[in-house]
Amino acid sequence: MTAEPTRRTTRVTVAHDVPSFDAAGLAPATRDALSELLLTLADDEFVQGFLDSEWTGIAPMLEEDVAFSSLAQDEIGHARAFYELRSALTGEDPDKIAFGRPVDAYRHCRLLDHPRTDWAFSIARRYLYDTADAVRLVALADSSFRPLAEVVGKVRREETYHLMHLDAWVRRLADRGGEARDRLEAALAALWPDALSVFAPLNGEATLIREGILSEPMEVLAARQLERLKGVFGGLGIQVPGTTPESSGGRTRTAPSAGFQWLWGEFTAVHRLEAGATW
Amino acid sequence: MSDPRDPIGRSDPTAVLGPDAQADVWEVFRQEKDGDAMRHAGNVRAPDADLAMHYAREFYSRRQESVRLWIVPRTAIRDLSDLDLLQPPLDRSFKKPGGYVMRDKLDAARRKASTE
Repeated sequence: MTAEPTRRTTRVTVAHDVPSFDAAGLAPATRDALSELLLTLADDEFVQGFLDSEWTGIAPMLEEDVAFSSLAQDEIGHARAFYELRSALTGEDPDKIAFGRPVDAYRHCRLLDHPRTDWAFSIARRYLYDTADAVRLVALADSSFRPLAEVVGKVRREETYHLMHLDAWVRRLADRGGEARDRLEAALAALWPDALSVFAPLNGEATLIREGILSEPMEVLAARQLERLKGVFGGLGIQVPGTTPESSGGRTRTAPSAGFQWLWGEFTAVHRLEAGATW
Repeated sequence: MSDPRDPIGRSDPTAVLGPDAQADVWEVFRQEKDGDAMRHAGNVRAPDADLAMHYAREFYSRRQESVRLWIVPRTAIRDLSDLDLLQPPLDRSFKKPGGYVMRDKLDAARRKASTE
């Protein structure tokens, strides 16, 4: 009988930057609510990161190609940190949470369930997502769950630059007029119903609020984000639909979209070929 | 522009810098660590200063190799490559240290100083 060849990682992929903690000190209800929160945070960043990576090689210009790919890597990095925090709570393997779930088990918000589409659509979606995410991260920055507050602090430092980058693009497309503006407005109109889906209420949200893990309810954050968006788009003279986007069903769907099913097939391809593969 | 060597030279960059002087090119200088000189790193193309900053950051500091970047529109650069000004044709050896033979004079001065 021959022994299984020892699998060795070829490089140390990640510096240890996620704080360790003792999950046993948390009440079960708190742990469940936190796990749910972390999964939504991680899945949002993970899916946004893979959507971004779909532009690698085909972005409008070389410089943007590199920059957008870098944003993709940042988002996957944020997802990793949130998956690892969840892993410390639940004992699951973070890679398995990321790559080993069936396509309908991902909890990303509906805004991220649309396919990549064109550049204006990707910019519009990313702008809606990043600005919403920023509002959500503020509500977690002083979290009583210190490991989360610590990770959120680091994530926000990177997200500041994502926001500046996306803000520059939205303004460019809006100010340029013509086809650029038309496409931006069409994308915003198509995405508008899902603009607040990041703020879908969470199972265990009352526990998160009571424990000081999340500073404000999701519906309060959603209302804040809506006012901000109206201010920005008003300032740019962009018409958005008069309807108020729903946040309540933001993470529930009868089935993942065809676009997400395709993306899932891409990002789980290696894992499905050989679970635990390293490089 | 009538005079391609206009001191500012911004309204028609190609007249001063040649066909490579596109208005959307930004030259990037980087400082590797505090106190180092700024050195030319390369350039990026970008439609405005904001995106130029993002692209410069990605190209010249994504691996934490810089502590400061300067991002300069190429059109703001005054190019000077006139050899009549930079390499004047008449003798300038007197402006170089080698223009004088100082050894004997220095030796004499040292001897004088040590005997005083």
